[in-house]
Amino acid sequence: MGSEATYTDSTNLKLRELLKEAQHDYSPESTKIINDFVCSIKKAIDQIPEDLQVTADLGPGFVRDIGADKVEFKFKKPKSIEIGGSYSFQCVAKPDVHVDLFLRLPKECFYEKDYLNYRYHAKRFLYLCIIKKYLKLSSLIQEVRWSTFHNEARKPFLVVYPAARLSGNAAFFVKIIPTSTSLFCASKLILERNNVRSLNQEGVLQATPKYNSSILEDMFLEDNFEFVKRTFMGWKELGEALILLKVWARQRSSIYAHDCLSGFLISIIMAYLASKSGKNRINKPMNVIQILRITLDFIANSKIWDHGLYFQPDGESNISNKDRRKQFQSFPVIICDSFGFNLAFRMSLSGFQELRDEASLALSCIDKCKDGGFDEMFMTKIDFPAKYDYCIRLNLKGSREVYSCGFCLDEECWRKYEQKVLSIIDQALRGRTKLVRVIWRNATFECNIEDGLSTLDGEALLIGISINSMEEAFKQAVMGPSPEEKDKALEFRKFWGDKATLRWFRDGKIAEVAVWEHEESERHIIIKEIIEHVLSHHLSLPKENIISIVDQLDFSLRHGNKDPISFSVNLLKAFDNLSKHLRLLDDIPLRISSVQPLDSAFRLTSVFPPPPHPLAYEDSVGVKPQKLTSTCIQPLEVMIQLEGSGNWPMDDLAMEKTKSAFLMKIGESLQEKWGISCTATEDDVDVFLSGYAFRLKILHERGLSLVQKQGNAHVKRVLSSDKKLFVRGQHSSMINGLRGRYPIYGPVVRLAKRWVSAHLFSNSLTEEAIELLVAYLFLKPLPFRPPSSRITGFLRFLRLLSEYDWSFSALIVDINGDLTPEDDKEINHNFMSNQREYKDNMQNISPAMFVATVYDKASEAWTSVSPTAAELRRLATYAASSAKFLTSVIMQNLNDSYRWECLFRTPLNNYNAVILLHRDKLPFPHRLLFPSEINQGRKILHGNPSKIFQPFLLPGDLRGSLEEMKNKLMVNFDPLRYFIHDIEREFPEKFKVWYDSLGGDAIGLTFGNKSSKKRGRNNNCEDKDVVDSLRAVGELGKGFVRNIYLLKAPKNKLRHGYLRSVSDRD
Amino acid sequence: MAAEDSHKKMKKRKHTKKNIEQNSVKENSQLPESEVDFYKRNKDKKNKKKYSEEKGDTKTVGMSNIKDESDAPGGGKKKSKKLRAEKKKNDKIARAEVNDVGTPCNDEGQDEFSDKKETSNEAGECKMQKSMKKKRKNAKTLDVSEVDKLDNEGEDAAEQKNDEEKVGATHTEHEDLMASFRGLSEAETSRSANARNSKKARKIKKKDRLLVNQSSQENSVEKKGEAEEYEVYEMSSGDEDSSKGMKKWITEYHQSRPGLKVLQERIDDFIAAHEAQEEQARREREAKAAEGGWTVVVHHKGRKKTSDAESGTVVGSVAQAAVLDKMAKRKNKDAGPDFYRFQRREAHRNEIMMLQSKFEQDKKRIQQMRAERKFRPY
Repeated sequence: MGSEATYTDSTNLKLRELLKEAQHDYSPESTKIINDFVCSIKKAIDQIPEDLQVTADLGPGFVRDIGADKVEFKFKKPKSIEIGGSYSFQCVAKPDVHVDLFLRLPKECFYEKDYLNYRYHAKRFLYLCIIKKYLKLSSLIQEVRWSTFHNEARKPFLVVYPAARLSGNAAFFVKIIPTSTSLFCASKLILERNNVRSLNQEGVLQATPKYNSSILEDMFLEDNFEFVKRTFMGWKELGEALILLKVWARQRSSIYAHDCLSGFLISIIMAYLASKSGKNRINKPMNVIQILRITLDFIANSKIWDHGLYFQPDGESNISNKDRRKQFQSFPVIICDSFGFNLAFRMSLSGFQELRDEASLALSCIDKCKDGGFDEMFMTKIDFPAKYDYCIRLNLKGSREVYSCGFCLDEECWRKYEQKVLSIIDQALRGRTKLVRVIWRNATFECNIEDGLSTLDGEALLIGISINSMEEAFKQAVMGPSPEEKDKALEFRKFWGDKATLRWFRDGKIAEVAVWEHEESERHIIIKEIIEHVLSHHLSLPKENIISIVDQLDFSLRHGNKDPISFSVNLLKAFDNLSKHLRLLDDIPLRISSVQPLDSAFRLTSVFPPPPHPLAYEDSVGVKPQKLTSTCIQPLEVMIQLEGSGNWPMDDLAMEKTKSAFLMKIGESLQEKWGISCTATEDDVDVFLSGYAFRLKILHERGLSLVQKQGNAHVKRVLSSDKKLFVRGQHSSMINGLRGRYPIYGPVVRLAKRWVSAHLFSNSLTEEAIELLVAYLFLKPLPFRPPSSRITGFLRFLRLLSEYDWSFSALIVDINGDLTPEDDKEINHNFMSNQREYKDNMQNISPAMFVATVYDKASEAWTSVSPTAAELRRLATYAASSAKFLTSVIMQNLNDSYRWECLFRTPLNNYNAVILLHRDKLPFPHRLLFPSEINQGRKILHGNPSKIFQPFLLPGDLRGSLEEMKNKLMVNFDPLRYFIHDIEREFPEKFKVWYDSLGGDAIGLTFGNKSSKKRGRNNNCEDKDVVDSLRAVGELGKGFVRNIYLLKAPKNKLRHGYLRSVSDRD
Repeated sequence: MAAEDSHKKMKKRKHTKKNIEQNSVKENSQLPESEVDFYKRNKDKKNKKKYSEEKGDTKTVGMSNIKDESDAPGGGKKKSKKLRAEKKKNDKIARAEVNDVGTPCNDEGQDEFSDKKETSNEAGECKMQKSMKKKRKNAKTLDVSEVDKLDNEGEDAAEQKNDEEKVGATHTEHEDLMASFRGLSEAETSRSANARNSKKARKIKKKDRLLVNQSSQENSVEKKGEAEEYEVYEMSSGDEDSSKGMKKWITEYHQSRPGLKVLQERIDDFIAAHEAQEEQARREREAKAAEGGWTVVVHHKGRKKTSDAESGTVVGSVAQAAVLDKMAKRKNKDAGPDFYRFQRREAHRNEIMMLQSKFEQDKKRIQQMRAERKFRPY
């Protein structure tokens, strides 16, 4: 009881706040400003002289393109000018504050038969031209522009911007929308009639339902508006729910579109639900949340959509089934007003499916997310790049193909083109996709309609594709019919063009197929290739105008031209081999009971899984080293457990030593039995097998229980080695399970890891924490569905990182769904006490990120040391900037490879000092993304490269014996790591180190708090001090450090600095 | 096509070339020392006489160097240009060597090609040699300038400038090396592509060099200015000093891997010492107990011991299980958390308190969000 009350209360609080932000302020002052402005418009229109002769010369381009014949008329004053739209019933939602002015066209200007052949549309336009001309003369009006009614270019309207502004400097504008109440006889405009004579097939006139609806809409606009206004007036809850729904819809660019939802349609649907025809589903005693829920539920689940929504003024069914069927032939969705006109005539089937899908997602947000899904529903932007797995842009600017059959017949050419693209893609990707959405917002604000319609193709056409299952989507072959079915085979060949081939299958079947062959790691490219093929085949579009966002970030994961993830097969085989050998060992005191992988390469989430190394094979296997054999080899950690025994020492140190002794024994007997060589230090034993170096670790369960007892005694954050191993084992197996469920998880994690380290955050965010953050995207995807492409997943990762409210909520990653409500409570309790601790002790650099999992309910495992609050802020800023950049690169035409690279190129001006390293002294020089250079700041130091370390075996070494070469091999040798370690040991307070563990050649240094405070006082002396210590830092990395620069970047300018450096490259 | 042919030939020649290089490397084994000398002298610039001595020392290094030096005094004033020129000379020498070994190349493009190839091959091993050449060059030119009676300060600056340019030169060499790494790794997939790549690379390098040549004059002016403002600290590669940097890391790496035998012995020693220590402690305890006929009760830290002190029976693993078992049993006997009414009341109150505090926190958070304009949906 109690919990529910607060739960809704906090939701309510938030909704109130949101409404405050979104509602327009209807104070007397602003009302007066608006009314005055409307009056001045009316006055300006009133001053237009009567009987002005109007001809096509006012906008010859438009009249020509629309194909109207007789258009001359004498200007008369409009019948009436009324304020309409949501403003009039106080439901206008910010930031789009506008006032609709309904301008009723006078009957005298039109002939009875003007509904034919676009005469009405042309005259309507010319009438507005006159008005525009006269409005421009008024001094109170800043600007008059054209816009189009729901993206319908044949129905433009005027947007008038006032010189005045509302209180608080808020902008508003007035839309002048012509209406044609009772201009024509409605029966002439019924669906079956043809009113565009040029639309015929071999002399037979075809029905023009869309054209007719377009005129009918204007005729009934005022009446329908009146009905909505009557419903909403004085019903506060309903109005507020409408505003919330508008906010909800506007956050979703895929449904707030011309072929789906508009503010007016939302209000119509709500009015329907509140009316008698809608069985009064919404009634007065309901509160806002209830109304919201009922409306969404109706949209998502109601069966009435299959029959159409009908407003019946007298409550009786006056529409026959025959009529209904006719309507459904023309339109997929029907919301019929009391005059028999379909208000939803623009809605497309895909748009409607998308709407229902979004509505049902919203319902699950309300049920499943905290605070009633407030953030997910209203605050999260769901744009194309984040929502769809694959986005494709078609640049159709200047493409004549689009309007080759004329601009407007029954439908406009752009809508026809949308449908054509949709049907091609639907057919090409049949079975692969869940939903394909094609939207072309071609008629934007900026267009100049007088010059004709051919310029309305500046915006790119957007295609969004959601994928059902990876397995289906990445199939390499499209199966066609057998060649015996001639008609079908011909059709198949026609559709697929030169891609269609005949194949003989193993089971004896012969069939037409279209095949796209790719390696396992490159399968995501198949969709791109299919789309490019069919679009260029059917629409004769050049390939450079089809921009599909699929593989643009792959460069960051490659070595040369190969994705190293393809080595994983070898790796897993080698691991099996190892565990087989280990289990077979019988000459060690305790037998090995289990072998478990720990390294991220085993779960396919490592950015660079190592390739097999020619010198890491068993003695018996001779593999000849090739050129460019790496000197260093990454060891892969493997955890083993031994049989239980009571003879283990109790002492911590002694236990570790015993473990080492065991490991050495294991190494020795592996060597003796199978010739598997190994190398050891006091702490680690590395075994060379099948081209890999495996680092063995022993988990001793009793050590675990020892720690748990200690843990109670306030030694909380220090995990013992056994506990660490245990946690890593748990993490590894859970993530591996998750990866099995979501094949795209691996690539997304790899991109995320690459991004984090490319921006020098290797020290701040551990690999495992990144894995958990990405896991969260898949496990709690709402308001989306789990991502199915690497770029979408990566974008959502960046947004999560930048938007998550870490200071007030714990991130709970429940991988297998086995957290009980008690667990949740425990986690929240831990989080709260953690926060309290943080507040009590502000100097304490306590963890800022609370990530809880089943195996780690107190967030001790991965984020207890880093990131600190400051690091997290920096991370979030970078993530926000990168996310913004990624979004724009997906949506807009700035697509060349250099721009994509910007995502991983970190600005080096946000540090106090930067150390550049010798690139050829990095252990894996080929992993470097971009060589860093600095041309600012002051060069402090230059160091010569060491000659004793080479990242690749020299040709001279290759001629030596295998034994000698093996001695040259260095396991886990990483000068960068040693260097960072040395700096942190020598200057623990002075410098904060930022670096890229994946092979960057730059290290950023920022001054610790202490030195920066001092710096204010005596600058000169301090400066010298800094230079000296930077030199000392350089000395620590002798032979490795190339240059050190002192930049003195001021701390508070971080954000702008980064943004600027990103935009600099634009 | 011809270029490709010569490319293949070059690859064959590489091996013979390498032998020569290795020889020169051996000869250069005394280099690090002299480099340090040089480095010190950089700091202590007034000791100029030593330069000539050093020049004498290093004369023995390589055959080609003599040629260089004989050419050197020609351009004493424009050092930067001379450096470039010298580099070219080196190339020429290299080319000449190649021509001696293999068939002569007529085409200029081919010449260019072969000498580029040479530099990238040499880069690894010959770098040392080259930088040494340049240093000697510096010394030489300085001598000349002394003859020219330039004043000391100007000379310092000039020297520094030279150093910086040398830095630039080594940079380009590094990049060449890296480029060749990349190129070669790609070459694994296609050889012909490699040929094309390296052709391109050559062109780019050529351009680069031209650019450098053009800009070197301007740079030198600028750098003079900079150099007066502050000095760039020059750091040696540190290959002779194992207390810091790369050398230290490599040494430590090798030291930490003395081999299985040694490690095992160390561990055995440790365990033996550890056991002896424990034994000692046990004896002392027993002795204390025996002294006065009393058993001294000592607070026992940590877990229960595995073996009983008196009898020596092993109880470890059994005791562990038993204790856990016992604990579990005892827990069951305890009264449940909602057994007494006051407990229930307390729990209820706690819950309400929790909810209240959570609500308060929510409110606070909403206020904070409002301040940050987090509720603006646009």
